[in-house]
Amino acid sequence: MDKFVFFGGKGGVGKTTVSSAFGLKCARAGLRTLIVSTDPAHSTSDVFDQQFDDDPRSVDGIDNLWAMEIDPDDEVQAHLQSVKEEMGEQVSPAIVNEINRQIELAHRTPGAYEAALFDRFIEVMRDADDWDRVVFDTSPTGGTLRLLALPDFLEDWIDRLIDKRETSIDLFEKAAVGEKSARKRAENDPIIARLRERKEKFEFAGRVLKDDAAFFLILNPDELSIRETERAIGQLRDYGLDVDGIVVNKVTPSPDEDETGRGADFLRQRIATEQDRIEEINGSFEQPIMGVIETRVEEVKGSLLDDVAADLDIEVAPEAAA
Amino acid sequence: MTADLELHERIERFREWLHEWLHGLYHGMIEHPAFEKIEKEAEDTEDALLFAMFADAFGIPSPVSYYTSELLPYLAEDFEKWERRMWDRESMIERKGQQYHF
Repeated sequence: MDKFVFFGGKGGVGKTTVSSAFGLKCARAGLRTLIVSTDPAHSTSDVFDQQFDDDPRSVDGIDNLWAMEIDPDDEVQAHLQSVKEEMGEQVSPAIVNEINRQIELAHRTPGAYEAALFDRFIEVMRDADDWDRVVFDTSPTGGTLRLLALPDFLEDWIDRLIDKRETSIDLFEKAAVGEKSARKRAENDPIIARLRERKEKFEFAGRVLKDDAAFFLILNPDELSIRETERAIGQLRDYGLDVDGIVVNKVTPSPDEDETGRGADFLRQRIATEQDRIEEINGSFEQPIMGVIETRVEEVKGSLLDDVAADLDIEVAPEAAA
Repeated sequence: MTADLELHERIERFREWLHEWLHGLYHGMIEHPAFEKIEKEAEDTEDALLFAMFADAFGIPSPVSYYTSELLPYLAEDFEKWERRMWDRESMIERKGQQYHF
């Protein structure tokens, strides 16, 4: 199993439950494990009945398990603040207002949320020496997919920006023949330096995502969830990322043989339908089903989490090479 | 007075005058327009670059403006001028035609 494990899926399918259970399983196997949640609803805190923030904290009563919760909004605000501070040092007060407007605008675009999250992911992956395993509980499908596609897309785009910047600086230098001094110089150009720095970050992320990360999608045994997951797998493949397996969550538990009555009939019919769906999943997906988890009577937490972890058939041991 | 000067001095003066004029002519007709053209080209490239970075300033949503906002502190003056230039620009012909100084 790769060091970084991502769990994704549509909202409400039970990503937090499954990723927490998998984290627990790894920790029980003796791996120093960190669970990273990006859910603004902070459901990891609910699962372990403990408050987490954006620094890894050890989970009470469980050895080898740590958790952290990243709040994308906080990340965006922190970034906004740091850019503004930087500007205070660089820019004359006369045009600060004009620039401020643009900076605020940039932090209110839809992409800001994902960009901030992605930055934080990269940070976690970079400082992961302390952990044997890092489990990412990602936000719902659409956003996550775009997140994982970012490195390729951005590297390309930054290349083009650097290229353009170099061209324009080269022209400025050529225009400054003789005693005139160039308006801009290539060496120590802060823009090119910054863009290069960015590019290195994305290259790192792209490499880790391709070589040292596993992806699992969670779905429920219903039509909508299956379609959604098919789409997600296709998109991930377009980005050059393979989904390693599927976890079916919220499967209806069967009644005892001798039970009769409306409730039992309903359950049996429901189970028959779900069985068809699971067969469909088995037939139409290349990815193996790594676990079938039944619906519980209440929210999965505490000892229930160990039960769920037992249903997960995902290899825990790190790869020999890693 | 001029008559007092020796012939060779008058020639010397004439040559200085001619040199100045020719240099002025060269500068005005060839040197300056050439540098100006290169500089304009540099500005145009820079404009395209800024547009690629901050398209959202003109209402075009950009997935990268979050990242490019980090560059703004270093581009502040360029950015401000660029924005004004882009709003004021009348047409590409007007811009490219500037070099003829009508």
